[in-house]
Amino acid sequence: MNAPATPKVTRGFRLPLVWIVPLIAVAVGGWMIFREFHDRGPEITIHFADGSGVEADKTVLEHKGVSVGIVTAVELNPDLNGVTVRLRLNKSAASLAAGGAQFWIVHPEIGLSGVHGLDTLLTGARLNVRPGKGPPATEFTGLERTPPPEVPKKGRTFILQSEKLASLTTGAPVFYREMKVGEVETSRLADDATLVLVRIHIESAYVDLVRTNTRFWNAGGFSFKIGLLGAELKNTSLESLVAGGVAFATPDTNPLAAPAEDGAVFTLTTEADKDWLKWSPKIPIKSPETVSRPEKVTDKL
Amino acid sequence: MKRRLPRLRSENLANASALAAAAAVMLVPANLLPVLTTRQPGQNRTDTIFSGTVQLWRSGLGAIAIIVFTASILIPMLKLLGLAWLILVARRRRIRNARRLTQLYAALDFIGRWSMLDVFLVAFLSGLVQFGALSSVEPRPGIVAFAVAVVFTVLATQAFDPRVLWREPQPPATSP
Repeated sequence: MNAPATPKVTRGFRLPLVWIVPLIAVAVGGWMIFREFHDRGPEITIHFADGSGVEADKTVLEHKGVSVGIVTAVELNPDLNGVTVRLRLNKSAASLAAGGAQFWIVHPEIGLSGVHGLDTLLTGARLNVRPGKGPPATEFTGLERTPPPEVPKKGRTFILQSEKLASLTTGAPVFYREMKVGEVETSRLADDATLVLVRIHIESAYVDLVRTNTRFWNAGGFSFKIGLLGAELKNTSLESLVAGGVAFATPDTNPLAAPAEDGAVFTLTTEADKDWLKWSPKIPIKSPETVSRPEKVTDKL
Repeated sequence: MKRRLPRLRSENLANASALAAAAAVMLVPANLLPVLTTRQPGQNRTDTIFSGTVQLWRSGLGAIAIIVFTASILIPMLKLLGLAWLILVARRRRIRNARRLTQLYAALDFIGRWSMLDVFLVAFLSGLVQFGALSSVEPRPGIVAFAVAVVFTVLATQAFDPRVLWREPQPPATSP
């Protein structure tokens, strides 16, 4: 008879049940840390020529009026020619880190056709962004000033040539019969510096008012004339008094001249001729109530 | 009248080590995650325990910074290290200087109750400073982790029975 095999005695390693507590702690702690870092968006770097008012942990990036990121560090470039701002985006705003995005610093601004960024008087500067459509990027060059509002898709833009700028600023109104039908977008000196080029935008409802023979004149400021028959004070609106403005009129020829093409160039005169003001052509326009308003850029600072 | 001491049970040490490990684990999120957010016009600060201490120091509140640093960073760490040391020593077969170790245990037990300073601070601030747009203080998840870590440390200290330091030297384990 065979002897039974010698029993093997093994002592299994038993972890006391209480070790479940640290295991739960690992799970909970790990989840807390994961969630905290998961909610963070990418960090981007923006180069500015001037970083006045930007402070780490304080200055926020805003888009469409809500905070979408915070500045984590502001450093002077080693060669002293600018500042580098590092910014942590929120997770929901991660798609702002795309090529072509434009960043600028908002300071309080009084003038033009309104008061902008007044809250930054109290809160300090903030950053603003216009999203880009390029591939994801983390390095950007900030704009030195607020960019002109984006060209709305509807309506038309025209170029006015003027001898001098005559206090026309971005956002100044464009009038037809003293009714605002558009605004000044931007202005610059012509390439040969002989003229000032002013780009205006006319809302889509009123584009038919601008014909190839339309005359534009500067309606900004006010003029004061003292003559034999008394004094005459002229100005179009309070808004144009502050920000300047452009007015135009279209001659009532029959038939009417063709509507002006997008980007057509006109001359801007300093004053209207007497008979321009008498022109009163019948131009069918789309009533602005039935035409959806052009999508306005909310933050056109 | 005779009164029996409760028996020294072997799982005491296991309980203490498990709880101490849990406390050590929770200290990681407690120190990494923000504990509170302060909102003021134009200034939103989110602080971890350490960045808050640094901020206090920079604002010239050196004394308070030292108190907060001691109570919130130094003591929890030292306490956990001391406890780990006691547990490791208690596992040995032969324990020398049991008197010193018992004193260390008494010290750990005593300082444990002072570690909740941060939790009280955040609880008070977020209860009191609620002025809407003007300023507000909100607790963040780090303070929960911190409170849990402190509670685990206290429990671990309670689970550790210092009498384990006074055992008779055990006979060496006999091999079969």
